[in-house]
Amino acid sequence: MSSPFSINGGACVAMVGKDCVAIACDLRLGLQALTVSNNFPKIFQYGDVFLGLTGLATDVSTVSDLFRYKVNMYRLREERNIAPSTFANLVSSSLYERRFGPYFVSPVVAGLDPKSGRPFICGFDSIGCIDFAKDFIVSGTASEQLFGMCESLWEPDLGPDDLFETISQALLSAVDRDALSGWGAHVYIVEKDKVTKRLLKGRQD
Amino acid sequence: MDSLVARYSRPATLNRETFSEDLQDGLHDDMNPGLSLKFAMPPVAQPSAWLRAATDDHANPNCPIKIAHGTTTLAFRFQGGIIVATDSRATAGNWIASQTVKKVIEINSCLLGTMAGGAADCQYWLAWLGMQCRLHELRHKRRISVAAASKILANLVYQYKGMGLSMGTMCAGVTKEEGPALYYIDSDGTRLAGNLFCVGSGQTFAYGVLDAEYRYDLGADEALELGRRSILAATHRDAYSGGYINLYHVKEDGWVKHGFSDTNPIFWKTKLEKGEFTNVTSALD
Amino acid sequence: MADRYSFSLTTFSPSGKLVQIEYALNAVNQGVTALGIKATNGIVLATEKKSSSPLSDPSSLSKISLITPNIGMVYAGMGPDYRVLVDRARKVSHTGYKRIYNEYPPTRILVQDVAREMQEATQSGGVRPYGVSLLVAGWDEGVMPDVESAVQGGGEVEGEKKPSGKTGGILKGGPMLYQVDPSGAYYPWKATAIGKSATTAKTFLEKRYTEGLELEDAVHIALLTLKETIEGEMNGDSIEIGIVGPPADHLLGVEGVHGATGPRFRKLSPQEIEDYLTNL
Repeated sequence: MSSPFSINGGACVAMVGKDCVAIACDLRLGLQALTVSNNFPKIFQYGDVFLGLTGLATDVSTVSDLFRYKVNMYRLREERNIAPSTFANLVSSSLYERRFGPYFVSPVVAGLDPKSGRPFICGFDSIGCIDFAKDFIVSGTASEQLFGMCESLWEPDLGPDDLFETISQALLSAVDRDALSGWGAHVYIVEKDKVTKRLLKGRQD
Repeated sequence: MDSLVARYSRPATLNRETFSEDLQDGLHDDMNPGLSLKFAMPPVAQPSAWLRAATDDHANPNCPIKIAHGTTTLAFRFQGGIIVATDSRATAGNWIASQTVKKVIEINSCLLGTMAGGAADCQYWLAWLGMQCRLHELRHKRRISVAAASKILANLVYQYKGMGLSMGTMCAGVTKEEGPALYYIDSDGTRLAGNLFCVGSGQTFAYGVLDAEYRYDLGADEALELGRRSILAATHRDAYSGGYINLYHVKEDGWVKHGFSDTNPIFWKTKLEKGEFTNVTSALD
Repeated sequence: MADRYSFSLTTFSPSGKLVQIEYALNAVNQGVTALGIKATNGIVLATEKKSSSPLSDPSSLSKISLITPNIGMVYAGMGPDYRVLVDRARKVSHTGYKRIYNEYPPTRILVQDVAREMQEATQSGGVRPYGVSLLVAGWDEGVMPDVESAVQGGGEVEGEKKPSGKTGGILKGGPMLYQVDPSGAYYPWKATAIGKSATTAKTFLEKRYTEGLELEDAVHIALLTLKETIEGEMNGDSIEIGIVGPPADHLLGVEGVHGATGPRFRKLSPQEIEDYLTNL
């Protein structure tokens, strides 16, 4: 119960669709049972790449800022946006640098490869082991519920609208069975040259 | 020090054997074995310590058995009777085991009990209490007082003190002799009479709303709305409270149920129509 | 005058020059000529392998080096300094890039890292500038979608050969050729030469270079240019050629690994050089 990963609560999920990806998170920030904030998004956009971070809230903030810095430096140095797969390896190596004093976060990366347009998603443990997936990635205190929802709702080659419906239902249903997640959600649908961000009004209990 | 505490917090347990046999001889000669109060004990030297090690998820998050708890319940006396309100969530760890728990236990047509702590403990012992009350009625040809009923429960849980029972309950009822009467009983053996109680992990949030708006001379509708609003506040802020709002009004001629209603529409109605809960975002900026 | 500013620590002269760097450039300009030519589908690096004695064994001497699978390097100037830079370049391409991003650095990033190394030698105590100029040739994968098919489908004029829409660089991808000097300055080129006969070679290249050159043509021009400047005989053992071209899957060492591509940079064998020379 006092694991750093479940003090603040939170959930994040990413899914692959046909020529699109989706990534979604809840908005709760809590201190054990007490809900402190209903507006704590856990998805961060760096150019064309999206990073979802669940876990200890202070580390979520620190790590998101760290990667904003690293991605900005990459963009200045290389005069191009970082590709999702490159970013994933950057996340991995940066987390492993803290092997013996890790950030208590479970990151999720989603985006479209700029060259091929192929969807890319992956997840990590807190010390940088990459979990490449062709279907979906879940993280946070509702990860078990999310696994169940994704296993049953996800199917290959969903279009952007169907993917939005699927990821939203999966997230909302999952967090409704987790005491430490929920209180609203953000959903990003990433298509070629288009990103749609939506707010889900979830249960507020 | 710990061993000292352990030694002196045990006697009730050790003496229970004889005491509960008296209780059984006196009260349950013709009971079916299901409610015989002869509980199977784990074959270890210290059953209570063993049980705690296995079930206390607060001290040990990896305990093998997670007992469902986490609750907000409240009850308050006012001129029109007693309002009893609860949420309906049951959690085991962070897992929401149920959103539709009935935490108000209808002991009989005039007596209500509430449930906080171990769901099974509350359910079992309040059912048992209902039985005792009925037996009292049959023996004495009149209804039991709330004071007496609550004391039966308080004495019972005291028998099991230190054995790991977990309950925080309120007994609410209206009788001719007492008028509206409200008692708080918990598994430590505490028994208190009072005007207003909130019990459970969300009690502080409920107290916050209830204390601010509470008056004894509240109208019935105002009182019902206050009970509902207090539970709503608790379900909002407390992770382990939520689900449905269970509302009861206890009057002199028995209790009346005022619904088992989902918090979600009530929350958004309260926010959007009354302009409360401005902390919650309802649109992207 | 020069004597007063010729300490090993690089110090400004009153006129604003760093004479140590100019001396380093002098060393470069006494070195054996090396040249590079960028084509549409690759790059060629070429230099002369000079042996001071008929007893030397030229097969073990190598002046063109692989840095990453897609980047190669050649020099003019001091051989020992070059070897240090090759080591540094290979190391930094891993520590500063591959171990972070799990991919090799684009040519410009590598060039910047090597140029930083060379610049630091002009501003640090106890060291002297590197006595070499480098030609760095590399192929970038790029991050922009390939548009070749769209161009071809658009009904282009027949006969105009355009094997690749890639013009080089980090965004579009394609061949890149850089020169790095002892000062740490670096310049991108379509074709250039460094070393003893650089001026002659560059004049020659200016005449022979055309846009839309293909790799085969570029190798041809490189040999012609080398012929203008070379002192001894031209054969497979006396000159060295490195090319950046299509992925050389035969150098991969394995077969049937999905998605694996061979190195684009490779050195031509003496036999291959001889073949080109006979067709000259």
